[in-house]
Amino acid sequence: MRQVLFLAAKDIRLLLRDRPSFFFTFFWPVMMAVFFGTIFSGGGAEDAAIRVAWVDEDASAGSVAFAETLAARGQVVPVPASRSEAEDMVRRGSASAFVVLPAGFGDAQTQRFVTGAPKLQLGTDPSRKADAAMLQGLLLQAGAEGMRASFTDPQSLAEQSRAGLEALDAGGSSFEGADALRTLLLTLPVLGQTLPQDGGAGVAGFEPLVIEDVPVVRARRGPANAFAISFPAGMLWGILGCSASFGISIAVERSRGTLVRLRMAPLAASQILAGKAVACFGTALGMTTLLILLGRFVFGVVPGSWGLLALAVVSSALCFVGIMMLLSVIGRTERAAAGIGWAVLLVLSMIGGGMVPLFLMPSWLRPLTHLSPVKWSILAIEGAIWRGFTLAEMAVPCLVLIGTGAVLFLIGLRAFRWQAEG
Amino acid sequence: MLQLHDVRKSYGSKVAVDGISLAVAPGEVLGLLGPNGAGKTTTISMAVGLLEPDSGTIEVGNLGPPTRRSARAQIGVATQMLALYDEMSALENLVFFGRMQGLSGQRLSDRASACLDLVGLSDVARDRVSTFSGGMKRRLNLAVAVVHEPRLILLDEPTVGVDPQSRNAIFERVLELRAEGRAVVYTTHYMEEAQRLCDRIAIVDHGRLLGLDTVAALVRAHGGPGVLVVSSQGADERIATNDPVAALAAIQSERTVDTFRYDPPSLETVFLELTGRQLRD
Repeated sequence: MRQVLFLAAKDIRLLLRDRPSFFFTFFWPVMMAVFFGTIFSGGGAEDAAIRVAWVDEDASAGSVAFAETLAARGQVVPVPASRSEAEDMVRRGSASAFVVLPAGFGDAQTQRFVTGAPKLQLGTDPSRKADAAMLQGLLLQAGAEGMRASFTDPQSLAEQSRAGLEALDAGGSSFEGADALRTLLLTLPVLGQTLPQDGGAGVAGFEPLVIEDVPVVRARRGPANAFAISFPAGMLWGILGCSASFGISIAVERSRGTLVRLRMAPLAASQILAGKAVACFGTALGMTTLLILLGRFVFGVVPGSWGLLALAVVSSALCFVGIMMLLSVIGRTERAAAGIGWAVLLVLSMIGGGMVPLFLMPSWLRPLTHLSPVKWSILAIEGAIWRGFTLAEMAVPCLVLIGTGAVLFLIGLRAFRWQAEG
Repeated sequence: MLQLHDVRKSYGSKVAVDGISLAVAPGEVLGLLGPNGAGKTTTISMAVGLLEPDSGTIEVGNLGPPTRRSARAQIGVATQMLALYDEMSALENLVFFGRMQGLSGQRLSDRASACLDLVGLSDVARDRVSTFSGGMKRRLNLAVAVVHEPRLILLDEPTVGVDPQSRNAIFERVLELRAEGRAVVYTTHYMEEAQRLCDRIAIVDHGRLLGLDTVAALVRAHGGPGVLVVSSQGADERIATNDPVAALAAIQSERTVDTFRYDPPSLETVFLELTGRQLRD
C-alpha cells in the first residue's frame, strides 16, 4: 500500500507542477461554476417535447380539449398525475414541470367575461428556468388558440353572451362598466354571425390565460441560488477533467518510457494502476472540496446534507476513476488517449445533461441518458445539495456510479498493456 | 548472472529472436551489437522480463526468470528513451524510483546521494530535469538504473546524443560498475564504444546470434586481412594483407614509398562481414 501511495503522490506532484493541467483541473471548474451561476438562465429549443405532469382537477370537456391542443403541438407530453404525484415527479426530475387545471377551468373558457380568464398553476423545477419559460409560452399559445376558437364560433359566442348576461343580472349590474359589458355581451351573437370563420381581427387584446407560478420544491429544499445549480455542474466538470488527465497520463508514461521503468521495479501492475487511481480519486476529491468550500463560504451554497454530499462526491469520483482506467487502455498513445478520452467524456456529458438540459433532448435519446454516469452524478450531487434526497433516494444514483466505476476499472485493469502495440 | 538458452520470440509470422543462447558473468560487460531490426530490443525486453519468450529459458542469477519479482529487483535498466520525470528534480527522480525498488529511510538517502555523485549531478540535484542538457539527462538515466544497486544492468544505447565529456563520464561509470562485480549488457551502434568497454561482443542479426566472443577473437575469426595503404609517386595503393611488414618490404624493393598506413581489421569490419553492407531501415 505504501508503494501505491508513493505512486499517487508522484502523480499529484506532477499534476501540481504542470501549470496548464493544474489550472484546468482546479480553476477551470471554479470559473465555469461561477460564470454559469452568474448568467444562469438556460436556453430553449423548438422541437423537443417537454415531459409535464398533468393534473386535471376540472376534468371538463374544456380542460381535456386544452390538454389535447397543447399535446397536438408535439412540444409537450402531458403525463396524467395527481397533484402530489406531479410534485414528486418534478422533484425527482422525471418531469420538467407540472400543470394543474383547477376546477372551473373549462367553464372559465366560456365565461371569461364574467369569471375572468381561465387560470392554471404551473410548477417548475427551479433549475429549469428555460424549461419554465418555454412552457409558459406554449401554455399561452394553447390558451390563445382556445380563445380564438371560442371567438370565431357563433354558437360559442352566443353561449358566452347568454351566460354573461345571466351573471350580470344575477350580480345586480352595479359595478362600473357594467353597462358597457352588457352592450358587448349583447353584440357577441351578432359578432359571431359577421366574423369570418377563420378568426381575423377584432379579438386581439383579450388575455387568453392566467398562469400562476408555483414553486415545485418547498423553499427549504430548493436551491438557494443559481450557484447551487452551477456548482454541481462545475464539480462534475472537474471530475471529468481529472478522469481525462490521469487517463492520458498513463499514455504519457507509456510513451516517455517511465511505465517500463516502473514495470522493472518489483511492483505488480495492479499496484501501479492503483497508484494512478488513488491520485485521480484524491485530486477529484480535492477539487470538489475546493468547490464545495468556495460555494459554501462565498456563494451561499449550503448543502442540504453534508453526509449525502460526501457520499455523492465519493461515488462520482469512484465512477470516473473507473472511466479513467478504461480511457487509459483505449488510447495507447498520448494523442489517442487525449483524443478518445475527451471525445468519450464529451459524449457522456452531452447525453447525461452536462451540456444540454435533458428536457431539450429528443424523446428517442432520453432513454440513453440513463447510460451516462454524468446524469447520475449530477442527480446525486444536486440531490445532496438542494433536492432534499433521503439516503434511500440517494442510493440509486450512488450505486449506479460505484457499480459503473468498479466494472470499468476491472475492464481497464484486464485490458491494460505495458507498451503501445505496433 | 544472466543466462539465455535457446530463446525464441515471434510476432505473428515474423521471427524476432531465433534461438539465441548467451550468458553474462558478474563483472563482465557484454556488448550486444546488431543492425536496426536485428532483434536486440526484443532480446533485451525478454532478458528483463518485459516480454515472455515463446520458447527457451531465461535465468537471472539463481533467482529464476526475470518475470519473477525477486529477479527483477536485481535488474537495472537504462533504456534508450530517457525514462525520467521532467517535472521533478534529479533527486526526486532518484528518490521516487528508489522507493519503487523498495529502498527507504537512510539507505534511500544514501543511495540517492551516491548516485548523484556517481554521475556528477550533485550540484544540480534539486533542479528540475526539464532544465538539464541531453548529456545530464543521460547520466541521470544511468543513475536511476543503478540506484537500487542491481547485480545485472542493461544499458540500451546510453550515449546517444551526448557530448564527449558526458560520454566519457558514462564510460567511466560503466567500468566502475564492472569493477564492482556487476554484470552489464551494453547495446550500441558505436563500434569504438563496444571495443573500449566490452569484454565480449554478441553480434545478432535476423534474430540469430552470429558471433559471440572477445573483440580480438572475433576479429581473428571474421575480420579478414588488414589493409596496407601505400602512397608512392602521388598514387595510393591498397593492399589486403595479414603481414604488413613483409608486404611493405616487398613494395619498397620495387619503388620508393612516400607514406604508408596499415588499417588492421576492426570490430566494424567484423560487424559488416557478419551482417552485410545492405542498408537497414
